[in-house]
Amino acid sequence: MNLEVEISGVKFKNPIIAASGTFGFGREFSKLINLDLFGGISTKGITLKKRTGNPQPRICEVYGGIINSVGLENPGVEAFVNDELPFLRRFDTKIIANINGFSKEEFVELAKIVSPLVDMLEVNLSCPNVKEGGMAFGKDPDKVYEITKEVKKISSCPVIVKLTPNVTDITELAKAAEKAGADAISLINTVSAMAIDIETRRPLIKMVTGGLSGPAIKPIAIRMVYECFQKVKIPIIGMGGIMNYKDAIEFFLAGATAIQIGTVNFVNPNAVLEIREGIENYLKAHGFKSVKDLVGNIII
Amino acid sequence: MKLLDVEIAENKMIANGIYLLSFESDYLAKTFKPGNFVNILVEKDSIYPLLRRPFSISFVKENKVFIGYKVVGIGTQILSRKKKGDTINILGPLGNSFLIERFDGKVAVVGGGVGIFPLLSLCHELKKAGNEVDVFLGFRSKSDLFFVDEFEKVSDNLFISTDDGSIGFKGNTVEFFKTKIAEGNYKVAFSCGPKPMLSAIKSLNLPFKCYVSLEEKMACGIGACLCCSIKGKEDNMLHVCSDGPVFDIMEVEI
Ligand SMILES: Cc1cc2nc3c(=O)[nH]c(=O)nc-3n(C[C@H](O)[C@H](O)[C@H](O)COP(=O)(O)OP(=O)(O)OC[C@H]3O[C@@H](n4cnc5c(N)ncnc54)[C@H](O)[C@@H]3O)c2cc1C
Ligand SMILES: Cc1cc2nc3c(=O)[nH]c(=O)nc-3n(C[C@H](O)[C@H](O)[C@H](O)COP(=O)(O)O)c2cc1C
Ligand code: FES
Repeated sequence: MNLEVEISGVKFKNPIIAASGTFGFGREFSKLINLDLFGGISTKGITLKKRTGNPQPRICEVYGGIINSVGLENPGVEAFVNDELPFLRRFDTKIIANINGFSKEEFVELAKIVSPLVDMLEVNLSCPNVKEGGMAFGKDPDKVYEITKEVKKISSCPVIVKLTPNVTDITELAKAAEKAGADAISLINTVSAMAIDIETRRPLIKMVTGGLSGPAIKPIAIRMVYECFQKVKIPIIGMGGIMNYKDAIEFFLAGATAIQIGTVNFVNPNAVLEIREGIENYLKAHGFKSVKDLVGNIII
Repeated sequence: MKLLDVEIAENKMIANGIYLLSFESDYLAKTFKPGNFVNILVEKDSIYPLLRRPFSISFVKENKVFIGYKVVGIGTQILSRKKKGDTINILGPLGNSFLIERFDGKVAVVGGGVGIFPLLSLCHELKKAGNEVDVFLGFRSKSDLFFVDEFEKVSDNLFISTDDGSIGFKGNTVEFFKTKIAEGNYKVAFSCGPKPMLSAIKSLNLPFKCYVSLEEKMACGIGACLCCSIKGKEDNMLHVCSDGPVFDIMEVEI
């Protein structure tokens, strides 16, 4: 059974990638599971300078998901390169660096430093939890085009652009990324959301709003992958609420070439293993030879 | 740290809304240190609650692990309905532990509400190490008392406070602890309880070291998601699940 997928020349031994921000830099999870099991790992979003992130509480639970406002807490690019990358490099898995700038120049600077050291870049134009940069750029197709183009110019490895679902038409963003030369797009980042404690009448997240992830956003994500698959030719990495192999298959059928798993890692650190086995069994049972046969293979 | 399926041996109410859950696990019983916690998946394949819930290990006896908990919301409600023979999935042991050694001077242990749970095994170990241990426990009311007989066995002096004065000192346990500091000759204090209680302790500016076990909302429990971050003294970020839950009170913002 062939689980291998290829994105812009980068060969992933299986289509399962750890989603940025849910897996740190792999260190913690490596004590629990073999990181080699992953086709790839997208690392915690990094910025040029160290960031402390948002105040507590940063997380709350709602039906079928969690709302977070971590706010890109990270040790900065230098610490990433010196302290985290060498560790991650020991594993037989593709490393995707998730980068976050607060200006076009910062994205370019990050790409310059990091791209020679990793397998792919994931340009995060979709973080809902920072005031500038992130989603503010990512909602505007012109900005998506501009930043992607500049990052592509400087980057020595293939570039994924990560899109936000918090727009009327995500395909506009997908098309802008493709036109600017992106090698792939990943979607979706978290959905802007809010929850209120009715006893205290206060928001459950200090920042008032945050990003919703988990099973609650899966149908939205599937729809968006499906729509983008109609509109762009570059590969799509799909994510949002994948809890098991069935969810993963749905993403492939909607048009995803690979998937990322995020929130499920908190609930079930063995998810990668179970999803991989599940995909294999599904392929066997349905007479498919490879994951590639599933991509976009929905019957309407 | 391991992911384990364990079979519940007992899950019973020991006070108003307070339960004690036990299961057998050689691994956890052997590796456990006072202060450690576990992340319990209260319901498999559940959409709500989705995340695991963190609970301290109260104590271990031979290969049996005991977890005391208070029913406060959906997760603990579901947990309270679990029966002997049911299986739950546990990730642990997680976090750091309390410092245990022979201190040259008395030790004060101050606990309030659910913060009392991790302190029992701590007292046990502190006694075993040869310390004189004074324990201060705060409850809402007489009907909320738990673990009192057990603490009697592992302390030299046990002082109970209740908010309504139905037993022991009337008022909160920090106020009472404060009255004993001068005569106590304490070398070190350990505490766990609600945030206001811990900030009250911090504002006492104790003339000796104080270690506190903190709580923060958690997702992963192992240091990967950065949901449970708190600020350290120098604006550095600390993670309650992996750098803690036990911290030197002077090293963290409470
Ligand atoms: C390291 C650590 C050790 C703990 N040890 C114990 C223990 O030994 N016994 C015990 O009874 N409780 C303990 N707690 C608190 C316990 O985790 C929460 O009471 C529990 O998660 C509530 O779950 P719920 O679904 O019933 O509540 P929910 O319905 O989710 O929420 C009800 C209330 O519980 C609070 N809460 C929810 N999740 C957490 C969380 N992760 N941490 C803190 N508060 C939370 C919420 O703020 C809310 O006020 C500990 C917490 C931490 C972080
Ligand atoms: C706690 C947390 C932190 C996250 N941090 C990042 C981040 O730094 N960069 C990023 O691109 N996405 C981040 N995300 C979004 C995830 O990568 C993913 O897009 C989203 O959670 C949807 O997938 P899921 O439902 O499987 O979790 C974060 C998500 C969570 C829950
Ligand atoms: S709960 Fe994930 S870092 Fe602490």
